[in-house]
Amino acid sequence: MEVLQNAVQYVLDMGAAVFVPIIMLIIGLVARMKFKDALSAAIIFGVAFSGMTLVVDYMLSSISPAAQTFAENTGINLTSVDGGWTTAAAITWSWPFAFLMFPILVIINIVMLAFKWTKTLNVDVWNVWGKIFTAILVTYLSGSIVAGFIVASIQVIVELKIGDVWGREVEDLTGIPGVTVPHHMTLIAALLYPIDKLMDKVPFLNKKMDAEALRDKLGVFAENHIMGGIIGLLLGLAASYSIQEALILAIQAATALTLFPMVSKLFMQALSPISDAISDFMKKRFKDREILIGLDWPILAGRNEIWVTAIIIVPVLLLFAVTLPGNTVLPFGGIINLSIVVGAVLLTRGNLVRMIIYGVITAPVFLYISTYFSPYITRLAQETGAVNVEEGSMLTWSTIENGEFKLFFANAMNGEWWAILASIGWLAIFTYFVIGRQKDNKRYFSAEAKEVN
Amino acid sequence: MKNVIVACGSGVATSQTVASKVKKVLDENKIKANVEAVDIKSLDSYIRSADVYVSITKTSKEYDIPTLDGIAFLTGMGIEEEKQKLIDALK
Repeated sequence: MEVLQNAVQYVLDMGAAVFVPIIMLIIGLVARMKFKDALSAAIIFGVAFSGMTLVVDYMLSSISPAAQTFAENTGINLTSVDGGWTTAAAITWSWPFAFLMFPILVIINIVMLAFKWTKTLNVDVWNVWGKIFTAILVTYLSGSIVAGFIVASIQVIVELKIGDVWGREVEDLTGIPGVTVPHHMTLIAALLYPIDKLMDKVPFLNKKMDAEALRDKLGVFAENHIMGGIIGLLLGLAASYSIQEALILAIQAATALTLFPMVSKLFMQALSPISDAISDFMKKRFKDREILIGLDWPILAGRNEIWVTAIIIVPVLLLFAVTLPGNTVLPFGGIINLSIVVGAVLLTRGNLVRMIIYGVITAPVFLYISTYFSPYITRLAQETGAVNVEEGSMLTWSTIENGEFKLFFANAMNGEWWAILASIGWLAIFTYFVIGRQKDNKRYFSAEAKEVN
Repeated sequence: MKNVIVACGSGVATSQTVASKVKKVLDENKIKANVEAVDIKSLDSYIRSADVYVSITKTSKEYDIPTLDGIAFLTGMGIEEEKQKLIDALK
């Protein structure tokens, strides 16, 4: 036993950039991949880690000093630096138990399809990281890995259920039939659903606006390098840097935001053999059934409302960050808040005004939840050696997807009474949403069909 | 060498999944081309140097290079047709 423990520790001590590729290589060979392909995927995974470490370190070394100077000058303490979802995903893969999530995902989906508890076949293997991320936060809070995987399994189930709902909306918004978006971040729609029902009664909030013209004007601000440059400059000026220093920071920030996705896609490149194998395996099993194929959210990315809303709420997030008492998050890498806009575009069927309202009212919630989880995210980064976070600053993700769910269930697993009640409440609202929304959809789409005729 | 671009919401996951599949098809047919996953927010600047665009979203914008349906690569439905279009466009 001790020998085994020592061996495992020896491997873990080499850091995620080495031990995860070793796990990948073993999985690849067990799955009968050609040695050459398995080795290639494994090494790319290591490259992705080291690349991410470089970029996150670079970001922290340029942003953190400015955030600290800003704090010294103003007393506003924004020391949790936001690496966005790409950073969260990278450190998530560095968790030693991460790969256990794959079989859990496949088994739950197959069982639920076999018993006809869902119509959704989720082939979006990439977003398994979102489940692992939940498992990690729950494990850290409750001290139990089993609890972590239980909550992650609940997440898999509720995602499939929301996939069943979204099929209609996705077809309506994109024109693509037979697919859905069972993405974790769209679950925020369940909590907003009661508010949305109230908004139905306000005539002004039922008017649809054309977002295309706005997208053409504002779209440029959503580009990573431009967004990064602007935030870097603002931060430099806020920290009373000289113009010279502020401009340097602007380019450094733009560099970090531009490189994040470039490096992050290496993870997907490494995972693509596993991802292909899993999705082919699942698709083959349910060939003759009428199913909804679950894909990642970008099939909705052609909707202009998503980008217009995301850009409009950027200054709102920044303003809340400096004014909310107790917030420590400096929004940066996660400032394009996909975690609200994607759920909102589905819930509101592309109603721009409502989407903006949701973006604004949820902004404080995102910041507080991010503040709450930042010590745990930092701990993960440090424990696995994925990123070095210096004393006095922390790493976070400003717009954690469906953070309420993680907050409630993690604390519930820790035996907190308020959280157990909140988790039950969450499930109740979710059930209300699933049932109510399917009824709404029936009414909405039959009315629409009549109008066309 | 010709360039194929695949765009998605952040240029990380969906686009890279499709890009890997496109690359595989090209390798199988011994066609040499660059395949790159890009961020849809910056599509206009990437499209200038591209020869084929694989789209994952439906937009009203038209581009004057061959455009393929990337969804087919993800769901497997209609994939043969898209593969053929890809090969024809790069030969």
